[in-house]
Amino acid sequence: MSLAIPNGLDNSNDRPGQRAPLVLGDTNYHSITEAVCKIAEQPPSRAWVIGFLVSVHLATMLGLCIAYLIYTGVGVWGNRAPIFWGWPIVNFVFWVGIGHAGTLISAILYLFRQEWRTSINRTAEAMTIFAVVCAGTFPGIHVGRAWLAFWLAPYPSLNLWMWPQFRSPLLWDVFAVSTYATVSLLFWYMGMVPDLATFRDRSKNPFRRAAYGVLALGWSGSSRHWMRYEKAYALLAAFAAPLVLSVHTIVSFDFAVSQVPGWHTTIFPPYFVAGAIFSGFAMVITLMVPARSIFNIEKLITIRHLENMCKIILTTGLIVGLAYGTEFFIAWFGQVPEEKFAFVNRAFGPYWWAYWTMIACNVISPNIFWSKKARTTPWIMFVVSIFVNIGMWFERFVITITSLSRDYLPSAWAYFSPTWVDWCMLIGSFGLFFTLFLLFCRLMPIVNMAETKATLAKELHMAHADHSHEGDH
Amino acid sequence: MTESQPKPQTVADDKKVHGVVAEFTDVDSLLAACRRVRDAGYTKADAFTPFPVHGIDTALGIKPTILPWIALAAGLSGTTIALLMQISLNGQTDLFEGIQYPYIISGKPFISLPAFIPVTFELTILLASFGTFFGMWALNGLPRFSNPMFTSPRFDRVTDDTFFLFLDAKDSRFDEAGAKALLGELGGEYVEPVLEDDSSKVIPKGLLIALATVICLSSIPALAVLRMRVTKSSSPRFHIFPDMDFSPSKDAQQTTTLFADGRAMRPDVPGTVRRGEMDWDLNFKTGIDMDKLASIDPPRAAQLVAMQSDVAVDGEDEVVSEAGADEPAEEQDGEAAEASEPTAETSAAPVTADNTPWLSENPLELSEEALARGQQQFNIYCSVCHGMNGRGNGLVNRRAQKILATTWTPPSNMHDPTLYSDVYPDGKLFSTITNGVRKMPGYASQIKAKDRWAIVAYVRALQVSQNASLEDVPESERTKIEREQAEVQAQLKAAAEAEAAKAAEAASAE
Repeated sequence: MSLAIPNGLDNSNDRPGQRAPLVLGDTNYHSITEAVCKIAEQPPSRAWVIGFLVSVHLATMLGLCIAYLIYTGVGVWGNRAPIFWGWPIVNFVFWVGIGHAGTLISAILYLFRQEWRTSINRTAEAMTIFAVVCAGTFPGIHVGRAWLAFWLAPYPSLNLWMWPQFRSPLLWDVFAVSTYATVSLLFWYMGMVPDLATFRDRSKNPFRRAAYGVLALGWSGSSRHWMRYEKAYALLAAFAAPLVLSVHTIVSFDFAVSQVPGWHTTIFPPYFVAGAIFSGFAMVITLMVPARSIFNIEKLITIRHLENMCKIILTTGLIVGLAYGTEFFIAWFGQVPEEKFAFVNRAFGPYWWAYWTMIACNVISPNIFWSKKARTTPWIMFVVSIFVNIGMWFERFVITITSLSRDYLPSAWAYFSPTWVDWCMLIGSFGLFFTLFLLFCRLMPIVNMAETKATLAKELHMAHADHSHEGDH
Repeated sequence: MTESQPKPQTVADDKKVHGVVAEFTDVDSLLAACRRVRDAGYTKADAFTPFPVHGIDTALGIKPTILPWIALAAGLSGTTIALLMQISLNGQTDLFEGIQYPYIISGKPFISLPAFIPVTFELTILLASFGTFFGMWALNGLPRFSNPMFTSPRFDRVTDDTFFLFLDAKDSRFDEAGAKALLGELGGEYVEPVLEDDSSKVIPKGLLIALATVICLSSIPALAVLRMRVTKSSSPRFHIFPDMDFSPSKDAQQTTTLFADGRAMRPDVPGTVRRGEMDWDLNFKTGIDMDKLASIDPPRAAQLVAMQSDVAVDGEDEVVSEAGADEPAEEQDGEAAEASEPTAETSAAPVTADNTPWLSENPLELSEEALARGQQQFNIYCSVCHGMNGRGNGLVNRRAQKILATTWTPPSNMHDPTLYSDVYPDGKLFSTITNGVRKMPGYASQIKAKDRWAIVAYVRALQVSQNASLEDVPESERTKIEREQAEVQAQLKAAAEAEAAKAAEAASAE
C-alpha cells in the first residue's frame, strides 16, 4: 500500500478566485459508479482478507470476554473501590466520542454547504454507527447484571414497581446515546438507498440483485422522490446537528453533575464535544488514508479532503489544549482545596504518565499540522491520527480514573490496575469496530455516489459557465 | 389517459402503455427538455436521474412537499410525550396511580423542568427524525418493488449515469405518438413506450407456505414462554442467572469450617457486651426476686446467674462494648442480639413454679406511655391468639376452632381470675411471656424485656377494664363516659327502630 500522493492528484492549492476541484482526473458519472461499485464487486484484496481475519478474531475475543464477565461477575475487571468506573466507562466515552465526527461531517458540514464532505461522509457515518455499537456495549455490560439492562427503559413494570429516575444524568445518557444511535442509523441508511439502488441495478447475480433490491426499497430516481428525499435529508441533518452536540454534552453530565473533584465543572460539555470531534476526525483519517489507497479511490477522496480534516484536527486540538489549561486556571482561581489537589494530582500524582501522554498526543502532536507539508502527506497524518486516538483514550482515562482514585475520603484512595479482561475488552472493541467497518467496505457503497455525482455536475456546470464567461470578453 | 384518444397498437401484444420515456446524457439538456415539457402542458411528467438535479423541481413544476410539517408534528408529539412521561412518572400525579415513583434526588423538586430538558430534547429529535424518515418514504410510496419503469433493461442505468424523462399515460395531454415526437424533438435518445407491468401480483404459493411455516415455527418459543408464565409449578424456580438469590452467608445453626469449633453462630467475645444488652438487673430479666431466690434455692440462683455470666461477670467497667469493632457484624444489631437471649432465659424457666419468689410489682416505671407501648406490643404479638380484648378469642384461635384442629390448646382468657395479680404475680406473667407456657412459645427473641414488662402492665390494665364499674373511673371522666353510653344507646335504639320501620314497610309493600 502506498501512502504517497499519486501524480496529478494534488488539489490542495489555495489560489484565490479559483475553486479547487473536489473530484479529480478525467472522472465522469460512470467512472464514479465504476470506482465505487468495483470495491464491492471484485473479489476481496489480500489486505482486506488479512485485516478482516485479524478483526474477526479480536471481535470474537471481545465476545468471549463478555461471556466470561457475565458468567463470573464484574470482579473480573480491575474496578475496585473507590474506582467503580474503570475501563468500561473510559472505553464507552472514547467510542461515543469517535462517533461524533461522522455526524459532524454528514450533518453540520452539510448544513454549512461544505461540499468537500460528499465523498467522505458515508464512511464517516458508518464509522459513527460502528463506534456507537462499540460504545453501547460497555455500559450494557457495566451495569453488572447485563441481562437486566432493559430496566433502563421506562416501561410499566409491575414487578419492579418503580420507574427510571428522570432527574439523573445516567438516565439522560441512556436516552441520548440510544437516540443518537437510532438517528445516525436512519441518516446513514437513508443516505445509502440511492447507492444501494445502483448496486441493485448493476447486479448480475439474482440473489444479490434481490438482496440489494430489498434494501433499496424500490428506489427509481424519480425527481419527485429526489425532491422529498433531499428535503428529508436536510431535515435529518438539521436534527442530527444539535443532537450530536447534545450527546457528548450529556455524556459529560455523567461526570459534571456529580461532586467528585475534577469532575464537578461547567467546562465539561464544550470540552467534551470538542474532544469528541477531535478524536472522531482522527479516526476518520486513520480509516481513510489506508482505505483510499487499498480501494483506489484517491480521485474521490482527495488530498484536499484529508487536508481539510487535518485543519479541523488542528483547531479542535487547540480547543482541547485550551480546555486543559482552563481547568488548571479554574482550580487555582476557584480556591477549592479539593479541586486544586485534584489537578495537581493529575499532572504530578501517581498517574502523571497518563496525563503527560495525553498532553503529548493531544496538545503537542497536532501542531505539526501548521505545516502544509504535513497536512498533505498521508503517512504523516496517519501517524498523527494514531497519536490523537491514543491521546483521547488517555484523556478519558485521566478524567475517570485519577478523579475517582483520589476522592474526598483519603482512607479509600487506591491505585487502579487493569486486569487482562480489561485489556482484552479494549482490544476486542477495536476488533468489533474494524470487523463491522471492513464488512461495510465490502458490502455497501463506501462513497456516496449520488452526492459525488451531483458535486461533479456542479463543477462541470461551473467550468462551463467560466468558459462561456471568458468567451464573452 | 383520455378515452377519446385511440390507443395505437405499437406493440405486438395487448399490454397497456404506462407512458413514454426518453434518455438524456447530460443535466443541461434534461433541464431544457423538462421546461419544454412543462410548457407544453404536461403535469404528470417525471424525470429519473442518478442524483438530485438542481432546479428540476421548477423545470417540471413539482410542488413543494409537506414533509416539514410532518416532521414538526412528530417533533412536537415527542416533546409532549417526553414531558408528560417525566411529569407523570417522577412527579406526584395520578396519571399512573400506584406505580409512580416519587423519589427525592439531589433535593430537586419532583417536577423539575431543567432536569427534564435532556430527555425532552432527545425524544423531540427522535420522533421528528422518525417522522421525517418514515414520512418521506410514505409520501414517496416506497418501498414498492414492482415498477413498470424497471421492465426496461436500459432503465438500470438510471442509477449510474443516464437521465430519463418520462411522460405518464395518465396525463390528460398524453397521446403516445405525440409524446414520442415531443421527446424526440427535445433531443431524447431511445424514445420508447413503457408498458404496464402485468406480471402476476399473486405471491407464489410455495413462498406463502414457506413464510407461514417460518412464522409458525418462530412463534413456538414465545408461546412456550407464555405458557410457562401462566403454568403453576411446585418445583423450584429455574435460575438462568442466580441474581444473588443464593447468599454464601450462613444461616443459624449451620456449621462452618472457618472456626475451630465448627459453629457458624459465634458466641460473644468474653468481656464484651452486645448492643441493647446494657441492663444487668437479673430481676428485670427473669421476673424473679434473685436475692430471695438465693436464700431459698441457692443452686438455682447460682445457675441463673451463671447463665448470664458471660455478660454479667465483668460488671460495669467492661461496659466498653461500644468498641464493638471486633464483634461479628451481625451481632452488633440490637434486634439480632435479642435472638440468642432465650438460651439463657429458657433454662431459667422455673421447673417447680410454686416456691419461686416472683416479683409482685412491675419494675417498669408505669406511665401512659408505657401502657401505650404495651398495648401496641400486645396487639402485635399477643392479640392474634388472645384477642384484642384478651378474652382468648383471637383470629388464630377462631380459625383453629373452625377447622377443629385436634392439637390446638386454646389460649388463656386473660380475664380468668386465676390470672389476676394476686394469684399470678407480675413476675410470673413476665416469665410466661418470656419463656412460653404449654403450646405458647417464648417471645424473648421477638420482644425486648422492657416491652414485655410493658405488656404485663397492659394486661393488668385490660383485666381491670373488663371488670370495672363506674366507681373505678375518676370523677372527672364519669360524665364523659355516661354521655358516651347514652349516645351509644341512642344509636342502638335508632338503629333498631329503623330496622323495625323497614320490616314494617317491607311487609306492607307485600
